[in-house]
Amino acid sequence: MDNTITKDILAMIDVKKVWYYDVTKRDIKRFAQAIGEVNLIHFDEDFAKSTRYGTIIAPPLFCQIFTFDDVPPDQLPNDGSPIEIDVPIPAKRTVGGASSYKIFQRVKAGDRITVKSTLKDVFTKEGKSGKLYFVVVQTEFSNQNNEPVAEETATYIKRI
Amino acid sequence: MTTPIPELVVCPDHKQIFMFSAVTWNRHLIHYHKDTAISEGLLDIVVQRGLIGNFFARLMTNWIGDYAELSKLTWKVARSALPGKDIVCRGEIKQKVDSEREKYLICEVTASNENDELIASGEATVVFT
Repeated sequence: MDNTITKDILAMIDVKKVWYYDVTKRDIKRFAQAIGEVNLIHFDEDFAKSTRYGTIIAPPLFCQIFTFDDVPPDQLPNDGSPIEIDVPIPAKRTVGGASSYKIFQRVKAGDRITVKSTLKDVFTKEGKSGKLYFVVVQTEFSNQNNEPVAEETATYIKRI
Repeated sequence: MTTPIPELVVCPDHKQIFMFSAVTWNRHLIHYHKDTAISEGLLDIVVQRGLIGNFFARLMTNWIGDYAELSKLTWKVARSALPGKDIVCRGEIKQKVDSEREKYLICEVTASNENDELIASGEATVVFT
């Protein structure tokens, strides 16, 4: 980490925000539609009952629907980018990124998912066209039984 | 020797990119407001990193069916994916563990555009249940 990372940013690191959502069949169906998934196991109850799960299950990366807190629009940066990566860096333009996503169990309708979002790191590297800023956010998802469901560590890359 | 996984070809259009922003409550303008995307140096609105991850997840679940679970997926975006353009997702087995204690596969995955340029690459871990 170099000296462009201010004390204000350092104070934001490792601060955990927590919220929760209740999952519905409609959430699962809509997510499946959005990713182009047509497997009946995500929306047809009769079919889902015949599978080893015995019920409708969500696609593996479903917890992405909880990653961004639904803060009011006037709290978002002007470009609408997620508040989770709203850190005081001069870079605004997005240039790719990366994810590491672990799935511990499939989400089902009726689950209550607790979301814990933490800014884990902010650092810079020199890119071909100038300095790049990396913002790392970890999001942990657990269910109503306090069992881990999924975890994502996402790296957002910004440049000036 | 590696084993290829049946490829998945997708063509995310404006509607799908919007739907993914909506369902994930991702309000970042570069995914649905072309002028903003262009002002950031992009050619058009761009496919979300998360949606690309789901294409990799579909590549894997189409292949493994009910016999295994995707337990981990990592991916890194190398270049922007644009609406109305084909994305070809490919995978191949890189490591196979088959012991008394655990049975899993580690697969490399890639997504390429119509010019065969790399959009994203990563690794998928599949556990047999």
